Amino acid sequence: MRRVGNTIFGVILPLVAVLVFAVLLTFSLMRMFEVESAMRVEAEKNMLWVLHQSEVAALRLSATAMLAELGKAGADDVSLRFDILASRVALLNDGPQRRFIEKIGFDDDLDRLSDAMVEMAPTAAHFSPGDAPRLRAALAPFSRFFGRAANAAMIAEWDDLGGRLETYRAQLRQIIAFLIGIMVAGGILALTLVLALRQTRQRNHMLRRERDFSALLISSSGEGILAVDHAGRCTLWNGAMAEMVGKPAKQAVGRALTEVAGFFDISTVRRGVAQALDGETSQQTLQPLFQQGRDAPLHVDLRFFPLRDDGVILGAIVFIYDASDRHTAQQQDAADRDRLEELVVERTRDLDSALQREKSAADLYRNFAAMVSHQFRTPLAVADSALQRLIRRGTRAAPDEVAERAGRARSAIAGLTRLVESTLDAARLDAGQLGARRVKCDLGDIAEVVSARQREATPERKIMIQYAITEHYSVLCDPTHAEQVLENLLSNAVKYAPPDTPVSVILHGNAQHASCDVHNAGAPIAEEDREHLFERNYRGASSVGIAGTGIGLFMARTLARMQGGEVTLQPFSEGVTFRMTLPRFGRE
Amino acid sequence: MLIKAGVLLTGLMLISIAALPGHADVKHGRTTPKEPIDKSTLLQITGQIAGSTVNLDREALYALPPTTLVTSTVVTDGQHTFTGFLMRDLLEQLAAEGDHVTAVALNDYAVDIPMADFYDFDVIVAYRMDDQTLSRDDKGPLWIVYPRDDHEALQDIRYDYRWVWQLYQLDVQ
Repeated sequence: MRRVGNTIFGVILPLVAVLVFAVLLTFSLMRMFEVESAMRVEAEKNMLWVLHQSEVAALRLSATAMLAELGKAGADDVSLRFDILASRVALLNDGPQRRFIEKIGFDDDLDRLSDAMVEMAPTAAHFSPGDAPRLRAALAPFSRFFGRAANAAMIAEWDDLGGRLETYRAQLRQIIAFLIGIMVAGGILALTLVLALRQTRQRNHMLRRERDFSALLISSSGEGILAVDHAGRCTLWNGAMAEMVGKPAKQAVGRALTEVAGFFDISTVRRGVAQALDGETSQQTLQPLFQQGRDAPLHVDLRFFPLRDDGVILGAIVFIYDASDRHTAQQQDAADRDRLEELVVERTRDLDSALQREKSAADLYRNFAAMVSHQFRTPLAVADSALQRLIRRGTRAAPDEVAERAGRARSAIAGLTRLVESTLDAARLDAGQLGARRVKCDLGDIAEVVSARQREATPERKIMIQYAITEHYSVLCDPTHAEQVLENLLSNAVKYAPPDTPVSVILHGNAQHASCDVHNAGAPIAEEDREHLFERNYRGASSVGIAGTGIGLFMARTLARMQGGEVTLQPFSEGVTFRMTLPRFGRE
Repeated sequence: MLIKAGVLLTGLMLISIAALPGHADVKHGRTTPKEPIDKSTLLQITGQIAGSTVNLDREALYALPPTTLVTSTVVTDGQHTFTGFLMRDLLEQLAAEGDHVTAVALNDYAVDIPMADFYDFDVIVAYRMDDQTLSRDDKGPLWIVYPRDDHEALQDIRYDYRWVWQLYQLDVQ
């Protein structure tokens, strides 16, 4: 309802007013032109004056004729007066005057007077005083005619004037009415104009408020907002944008976006803007945005939208969101995941090795019976045969022989004991129960003791000890462990050496370490075995047919390492050389 | 429009006053007493000119540069060709000085014409109309003719009464 009212007041009423205004103005103008042209045309008749002049001319001719009769005027005077009267009659017979006379109904009278003038002409031209009475008689009807005609002319002209004035008044009244109508229409127009102006002002005010609000929204947005036109020039740059890029709106608006910051010259960002200008929406995540004077980049999410108005693309708008926190969180997550994976790998390795140990232990125990049957059989046989001989000899046995045979039996039993010890050691090592009590020892003494023990076990084998230097080989170690290592190396060397070849024990050292090399002339260890030699339960190709647990070298290296030392297989030597290295006392 | 109507009425009244008999003599009281004019004289000029009075015959008037003018008049139908001389040529030849010229007709009709008229418009004193010499029993021998058709301003009754025919005297004041 209100809308209909608005339409009537806003559109139809002014239109009607304009129409009325135009029509009334046209009619007023037409009326005015009519009045104007009527005044111009009607003003030219003045018949009263013409008739008066004619009457005067007739009277003066009559008077002159009388004077001539009295001898006071000449023929020339009469002729002049006659000519003047003749000119008046001619004038009355001329176009407009003649028509007027016809209109007032005096044309017959005028014709008679004209005839009379023609008749009088010769008399006037050749005037003699005797002609005067006749002339005056002829002139008699002239005065009467002019008087009556003037009378009629006066009435006709006044009627005409009165009628004309009445017409003018009527036309003027019309014009006044039209003008009042024009004023009313003008008033309505002015009113609608004022109303329209007020409405426009209100709308402008509202628009301004909306615009201010929009501007406020844009400037308050935590998200960076920018807009570009088709030429790629920045048209909008909000506060968040300025903060992110480090350039105020003053330096950005109106300039090419690619000039504002290098970030907008990156091909992906340029493509996003170009697509938005083509009407395509797109987004990019976690783009690094380097700011002037800051080392670490921000990581931002970008969204590109075309800026449309009635389907026409005016430009593009870009929203930039600082997603650095998310980026950091993602980085953190990745790092955590990596660490977790590492941890899992480590644990898996630990578990694997534990499993391996378990497996080794199981193997150990599984092999124990075989080992017992195999390893223990020889010493037991040695001890048994020594004791059998003693029993068989009985009292015949010399005390030396008894001592010798008993010694051999004991030695075999001692070997068995060591074998059990080493097996238990391996079990203890697995259980982590083996510790090292490191003290100052002399490596030379240890080598001597072990060599002597080995000589006793295998008297047929020659064992040589060489000292590369003469000073004391004082080292920091657990002597029991060191002996065990060296024993292992030496027994191996004896075990794998070809018969009748010596085994050498060579001591040497430097400021940090003292070493003991155990060398035999055995066949070189195969390349593929070298790597695995120190692994638990590994037995190389050369060990086939030789008693062993496959645990010795593993134990030796483990024990040496527990004391800060090492056991290695020396490469490039003739035969086979194993080296035990221990830290010097006071140098570790 | 009202104003114009008023002017019209005033104009009509003026003409009515001027129409009183002997008006020219009585009103102005300065018309030079008529000197005896010999028969050949067509135009007598008096007033502020070189020499007090000048009588000009037909020959003298014909000697002035002839001018032709085509115009309608208020007392005749249609257009007519008038031949005569420019009023200003005559006045300049006589070194006339003044604001106006009083033109007097044979019937003693007298009208004051501002001198400016002769310079603003090509006002002529015609002695011939449509190749016929104007005669005294018509509008002759001389008729002051304005170029009415050439100037809208002249199509006004205040100019129409300056068309003096049967002209015989000019008094420069």
